[in-house]
Amino acid sequence: MLTSTVLAMTHAGYVAAGWIATVGLLGGYAAATIRKGRRLSQVVPPEERRWT
Amino acid sequence: MTTTPTEASPAAAPATSTASPLTRVLGALSAVGVVLVGWLGLVASPPDVVQQDSVRLIYVHVPAVTWMYVAVFLCAFASFMWLRKRTDGWDVLAASAAEIATILTGLGLVTGAVWGRPTWGVYWVWDARLTSTAILFVLLLGYQALRRYPAEPQARSRMAAVLGLLLVPNAAIVHYSVDWWRGLHQDATVSKIDVSIEGLMLFTLAVSFIVMGVVCAWLLVHRFRVGWLERRAERHHLDAALADRRADADPSAGVAVGGPR
Repeated sequence: MLTSTVLAMTHAGYVAAGWIATVGLLGGYAAATIRKGRRLSQVVPPEERRWT
Repeated sequence: MTTTPTEASPAAAPATSTASPLTRVLGALSAVGVVLVGWLGLVASPPDVVQQDSVRLIYVHVPAVTWMYVAVFLCAFASFMWLRKRTDGWDVLAASAAEIATILTGLGLVTGAVWGRPTWGVYWVWDARLTSTAILFVLLLGYQALRRYPAEPQARSRMAAVLGLLLVPNAAIVHYSVDWWRGLHQDATVSKIDVSIEGLMLFTLAVSFIVMGVVCAWLLVHRFRVGWLERRAERHHLDAALADRRADADPSAGVAVGGPR
């Protein structure tokens, strides 16, 4: 439904590119940050992770 | 989030991630918010009379740029506090805010260019707002390079803090560039009393501001914790290296501390 709605728009390619860039960049950065946090959490003792 | 039970206390196993109840709430709100903004911005809100459907790019471009200012000012404030207090927390906060500001500035430039093509007919023009934003982006990239430069940690933090403070005048130039110079970029749309959009479009923009803020807060907490873990991991690595060196220097202690070699 969303795809057909976007395709029916004027400037559909630009709208799609802008939204995909936003979601992709923020999502990719979030995934990389969480993955790095998990890797580092294996190295650092739990008592030094104040949030646990 | 995954957890790995430890041998000592399997029942109360510490989470092996940067997640906490706070980030889980922020993460859930972010996920729901992104879906809501997607529906409002791409389906529910009407096209603009002049810009037509390209106005839908405003719902990602303007919040990204607005929160970029917040991240830059947070970086500068944390840099100032680090120069006064010299504690790890302020330094990590400055680095985290700068990284998020870099992402948001890049996003602002990309979404702005994609919006500019159907609206102005060009992806890029050497307008005061665009040029000053590009300069800010280069400064932020320089900040990231400085943070990764192999130097003595205190000296690196001091240089990064000074650069963090220098981001503020540039961000002010970016903001006021549309008032100070005549260019192609439009004036502020919502930072005036008399806003130039209304109805569902204004509501969608307001919701997208809030959602982008929640996403940025969620990212900032995780990034801060990653930075904190990096410091602790470096310290543990250094302690282990020092213990090895001591064991090498004193073979009798080496057997007791690090084992025979």
